[in-house]
Amino acid sequence: MSLVVRRTLLAVAVVLLMFLVVAPFYWIFISSVKLPPEIIASTPTLFPQSFTTQHYDNLLGGSPFLPYLGNSLVVALGTMIITVILSTLAAYGLYRLRFPGRRLLFRVILITYAFPGVLLLIPLYGLLSDVGMIDTLWALIVVDVTLAAPFATWMLQAFFRTIPMELEEAAALDGATRLGVIVRILLPLAAPGVASIAIFAFITSWTEYMFASVLIISDANRTLPVGLAGIIGQYQIDWGLLMAGATMTTLPVLLLFALVGRNFVEGLTAGAVK
Amino acid sequence: MHRRNSLMLLVLAFTLIVSVLPATAQSPVEVTLWHMEQPPHRVERIQMLMDEFNAANPDIIVSQEPQNWGEIYTKAPAAVAAGNAPEMLFAIPDFTPILKDLGQLQNVADFISTLDEAHSFYPAAVAPYSYDEGVWAVPLYNMVQSLWFRNSVFEEAGITPPTTWEEWLAAAEALTTDGQYGIGVPANRQLYTDQTIYNLMINAGADEIYNSDGTLRFSNDATVAAYDFYSQLYQFSPPDSPNWTWGEAEACFANRTCAMIMQFTVITTYDTQAEGDPEDLGVVAIPAPADAENPGAISYANGVMFLTDDPAKLEASQRFIAWLMEPENYGRFLNMEPGLFLPVTEDGAEAESFWNDPLVVKYRSQVETMVANSASGRLFGFTNGNTFPSISAISAQNLLAQTLQLIVIDGTAAADAVAEGQSLMEEAISG
Repeated sequence: MSLVVRRTLLAVAVVLLMFLVVAPFYWIFISSVKLPPEIIASTPTLFPQSFTTQHYDNLLGGSPFLPYLGNSLVVALGTMIITVILSTLAAYGLYRLRFPGRRLLFRVILITYAFPGVLLLIPLYGLLSDVGMIDTLWALIVVDVTLAAPFATWMLQAFFRTIPMELEEAAALDGATRLGVIVRILLPLAAPGVASIAIFAFITSWTEYMFASVLIISDANRTLPVGLAGIIGQYQIDWGLLMAGATMTTLPVLLLFALVGRNFVEGLTAGAVK
Repeated sequence: MHRRNSLMLLVLAFTLIVSVLPATAQSPVEVTLWHMEQPPHRVERIQMLMDEFNAANPDIIVSQEPQNWGEIYTKAPAAVAAGNAPEMLFAIPDFTPILKDLGQLQNVADFISTLDEAHSFYPAAVAPYSYDEGVWAVPLYNMVQSLWFRNSVFEEAGITPPTTWEEWLAAAEALTTDGQYGIGVPANRQLYTDQTIYNLMINAGADEIYNSDGTLRFSNDATVAAYDFYSQLYQFSPPDSPNWTWGEAEACFANRTCAMIMQFTVITTYDTQAEGDPEDLGVVAIPAPADAENPGAISYANGVMFLTDDPAKLEASQRFIAWLMEPENYGRFLNMEPGLFLPVTEDGAEAESFWNDPLVVKYRSQVETMVANSASGRLFGFTNGNTFPSISAISAQNLLAQTLQLIVIDGTAAADAVAEGQSLMEEAISG
């Protein structure tokens, strides 16, 4: 197969993949700027025949979208930071330290995923109510960390395994403490892994619906997925508002990918050059 | 002397202050309402009314916390169990048995009597909450399904709006043309499908799910006839209707793909996303077999439950609801969603505050038809006092809709599907 044919096939595959990934976002966005009759027209229009910002005006000016967005950001960023700290320390402990039951603990850590979340809902509600955390963003952060941290720990130890032990020993000989080794040696080298678990924790929290819908009572503390579901209504759907909400909801995630994704790529290429 | 008078004045003033202090220092009774009317304009309207009430009643502070129907069935019992339930909670009939089972629900029979004397409830609105020697919620607003269409579409096809099943099927067939389906009926395993099939069950004479002893009577000839007729209508429905909820049906009607739909209302969507011509928007009662004895349609009398046994909080909550039911306030409450929420009281149906909303003025004849249809509304599992808590399990699993799917998707014969539907229900309520 000639180089030209191979490159053409590769280009076609990339374009196809791009289409599959981008098409839903494109559809949501263009629907958010169409007038209502065009959104629900029986023959869909690939390119908007009308243009309006009324759905964004309604979303930002006539609904509590911004407070919901703020709450989601607090919860998702809080979850991300705590998960990264906990998972890094846990992954290091499980991978580097030698203690009885280490292997068992490492395997057991993923068992948390074997329980359907809905089974935990009522007991967790009672537990959090007893400690006065119902209707607080902290309750969601605690829950989301417990959802994200086990898998993040498991994922991060795989990155730690690729880092030679000799680097740590050399640092220790130079007088680095164990925490210093983690912060100055392991974390920079495992940057792609840390970026991955940060994104994972953020998205886990950003899209979490079930616990957020039950543990939060007041409108003031509601997060985006639950708040948006309420804004749209049950019997009558405002499709334009729905599309504007969906567009705005994806923006922070795209922003995070733009920021952390760059570090992710830098980490990979730096490793390749070494 | 002068000094003694001054001293007496001081003592008198002190006594007065002390005697007044307990009254002024007494903090207002705070009560919270959880409701599921989350769209911002409805929250805003409820807040406006609460602000008015709070201003007129300084000894009470009523606040709201909007919730979501999707989670309230889990959230409310959890809140009751944890001791942080609200004092008032909006309900539909199949929600009350769940809360009643937890022992927290207050019997409002006496309060209903008081309100009834002042406002005259429609009996159909109170009936779904009346069982087990009590009344378990105060009906606040009704929603009833009707058949919606465009007059111009019928005129163009040379037919009149249907009143019988025979006419209805013929109309669906005649109106199915290039780019238009005669009718849009859902087949999703979801509440909307439960509602639309129950419309047909009512008119076939199969509105009773239970016998008076609590056994099921779902599997019978009338139910089979209803399901069979639904499957005939379904032939003229768009191919994506197995995935529909209310919003998709409204969109199908608004964009003229569906000539008819069964829906609580299409007024807002029709007004904002379609032509908005009140002369062309048609609405009639759900058609029935020519020999139907007691036709009607599915209706939801939404109500409010009281979850507190604290006398002061209960009294404060009931004062707020009584204030809300006053004609000058009630219409504004109903019109948090004009053209969807209907009055449950006779004086509410005549209230100027209800009829003077601009959208209600514009679509007055349609709203009048909806109000008339609501008088014969019914809800599955809440008919003739044959109400049992197990209906919540049947409703939660959408077993009416699942039975329909056996017919229109799996191709099972109606009689077999209905028999299987009864088995599924027995299994659900035995668990």
